[in-house]
Amino acid sequence: MADVGTGLIAIGAGLAVGLTGLGAGMAEKDVGAAAVGAITENEALFGKAMIFMVLPETIVIFGLVIAIMAIFVM
Amino acid sequence: MSLPESMSRIVIVGTKSRMDEAIEAFYQLKALHLIDHTTGADGLSIGTPMSRNAKASERLLKVRAMEKELGIKKHAKTPKVPVDEIRSQINADSVENVEKEIMSVLDRRNDLNQRITELNSKKKNLELLGPIPVDLDLYSGYKTITSIVGSVTEDPTEVLKTIGDIEYFVSFDKKEGGIVAVFARKSDRDKISAALVDFGFTEITVPEGKGPVSEVLAVTDEKLTDLNGQLESVGKELEALQMKHQTFLKASDEQLSIEIEKGEVPLKVAVTEYSYIMDAWVPTNRVEDVKNELESKLGNDIYVEFQETRGRRMEEAEEVEDRYKKVPTKFNNGKITKEFQYPTKLVSVPKYQEIDPSVLIMIFLPLMFGFMVGDCGYAIPFIILGAYGLKVTHHKDWRAIATVLFFGGIWAFIFGFLFFGEALGMHFVTGEIENTIWGGGVNVTWDMLLGVTFPEWFSGLLPFGHGVGKLEAVTLLLKLSVYVGIVHLMIGYLCGFYNKYIQHGFKEAFIEKGGWILSFIGMVVLCFVLTQVMIVEEASIVIRGQQVLIVTAIGFILLIAGVIINFKREKAQAILELPGMVGNILSYTRLAAIGMSKAGMALAFNYIVFGMIMGIQNGVSSIIMLILGILLFAFLHLVIWTLAILSGGLHALRLQFVELMTKFFEGNGTEFKPLKIKREKTILTTENINKEV
Repeated sequence: MADVGTGLIAIGAGLAVGLTGLGAGMAEKDVGAAAVGAITENEALFGKAMIFMVLPETIVIFGLVIAIMAIFVM
Repeated sequence: MSLPESMSRIVIVGTKSRMDEAIEAFYQLKALHLIDHTTGADGLSIGTPMSRNAKASERLLKVRAMEKELGIKKHAKTPKVPVDEIRSQINADSVENVEKEIMSVLDRRNDLNQRITELNSKKKNLELLGPIPVDLDLYSGYKTITSIVGSVTEDPTEVLKTIGDIEYFVSFDKKEGGIVAVFARKSDRDKISAALVDFGFTEITVPEGKGPVSEVLAVTDEKLTDLNGQLESVGKELEALQMKHQTFLKASDEQLSIEIEKGEVPLKVAVTEYSYIMDAWVPTNRVEDVKNELESKLGNDIYVEFQETRGRRMEEAEEVEDRYKKVPTKFNNGKITKEFQYPTKLVSVPKYQEIDPSVLIMIFLPLMFGFMVGDCGYAIPFIILGAYGLKVTHHKDWRAIATVLFFGGIWAFIFGFLFFGEALGMHFVTGEIENTIWGGGVNVTWDMLLGVTFPEWFSGLLPFGHGVGKLEAVTLLLKLSVYVGIVHLMIGYLCGFYNKYIQHGFKEAFIEKGGWILSFIGMVVLCFVLTQVMIVEEASIVIRGQQVLIVTAIGFILLIAGVIINFKREKAQAILELPGMVGNILSYTRLAAIGMSKAGMALAFNYIVFGMIMGIQNGVSSIIMLILGILLFAFLHLVIWTLAILSGGLHALRLQFVELMTKFFEGNGTEFKPLKIKREKTILTTENINKEV
């Protein structure tokens, strides 16, 4: 049986990834919709649209780093 | 670093009488990027299209219409036709003759279609009239009596009964509606129509004919079958015509388009009564060549003058006329880098005065993709798929993807073989037996699985003797990703500095980009100190005691200096961007994270499959279980492999677009588009290759 501390770390790591994932999802929802609209109008915008589209993704990477640090470093 | 090719501006003056020949010569050079003439202070106006264009346009219109009518596809494969042949055919009115031939058949088809439509509507009416026992010729031809015939949605019998002095026939079915025919005095017509309206009455015209409805219907059916037969044979005729003329139509389409394009060149140049003047950009190393070539072909009827070789400094662009300001960008890339121009162009075409990021993308995109995949088992299909794609496809989108897959696959193989030491999520060499499923753990390894022992030198090649475990050496992978990120970002900042340096000089570059470089280094140093102070493991501490203070001070000084320099231009942005820098660096941890996520999936899948296979008892069912296990193994790894394309490819691309290119790339250039013709359906014969392009 793992002790309570390990469990709390696991929960913390899960929350870090899960909540940042939600955050990134909410942000990308709006950007993605607008990006698809823009690309339909003008296909040349794909590259620029993609840059904006993936910007919020960084939030989730931060969450992931925190989670990894929580599990492996702490 | 690869800047776009150096460009020079030339002006060409020639006599109008030999303009036709001159245009041919321009197209043959494939090096002239025309600068559109704008009617301005010089008082010269633009020219008019060649006189032959009107006729050619008319013919092209006919050809396109025929292609559409015959349903010839845009990319239909047809043999190449010599230009001479197609041109003499066009001049001999072949387009018109073919049109006549095709139109006569098309007219017949349209005629047949019309008649079939008419007969079909007649047939429909006849079928409606079927249940009423009145011959067709009895519906009309009376002096005082009129017939009112139509369909109804409700049964009108009760109402009709109450109206005196009429004869009526009703056939009604609750589901399908009904038909009613009323014979009454002509003067009563309105009254009866009004009464029927309540029952959803819609009048129909009674088809002409004699005798019972069923007989007429049979005759109509016969006619329809006949006409449909004729239509089918016309369809076959058209198909035959399509086969017969497809090659001619495709070739003449191309030939006429080319002629029209060439004929429209005068629209872009200035003309006077007897001469034309055109400005063009030419790659600097072709200037002499262009001059000699044109003068040898047209002799005294052309004069080429060199105007300027444009440098990369922005001030040079300020001094000239508006239409000379923007220089077209001619990519200056080798064979492999060329394939990576596509991702660059997805963002924008680089300016003439800046570094073309294609080279950097060529180096880092496959490298990062390979690092994220990092597995021999997935790498080999990538290499095969990529190589096949490069061999087969010519479409630029697919080529770009195939290139990334091929080179990314090679990197993935290198990383998978020498660094991670694994294939399909399984290490080649067993590290500690306790971690494998044979020792009660969860890992599967190749040497245990195959029952072989790899030679000493092989495990000597691998780090730790068995390769880096993606899920074990997490700290190492994270650190490595961050280091890659720092190098990658630094390259970005340096490119930015270089761009500004060639555009505006050292001082400007230092003010605009130098500050960022300093604060970036400062930030990196400070982050390093932070990790040193926070880390608990004694072994990984490099600096201690007094050193910490010194390094911190260096970091702070660099950071503050950078912010001060930036503050002049960017104001508060200089401070607000600082956390963004850390964000940028940490963004590279996705390199490790995505590798880990795939390793995690592979570990779970392997554990399931081999747990299943190894738990098999002897017997017939065991063979089925074995086959099922192998199928499951293949399917699950295919899932990971497909995900690797998406996540690995997209994230590697994103790191180039967002993290790297935003540091220096401005884009918004115009691509170099010389006058040249690409023939696909027609071919030049050796005799006229000099006369024509």
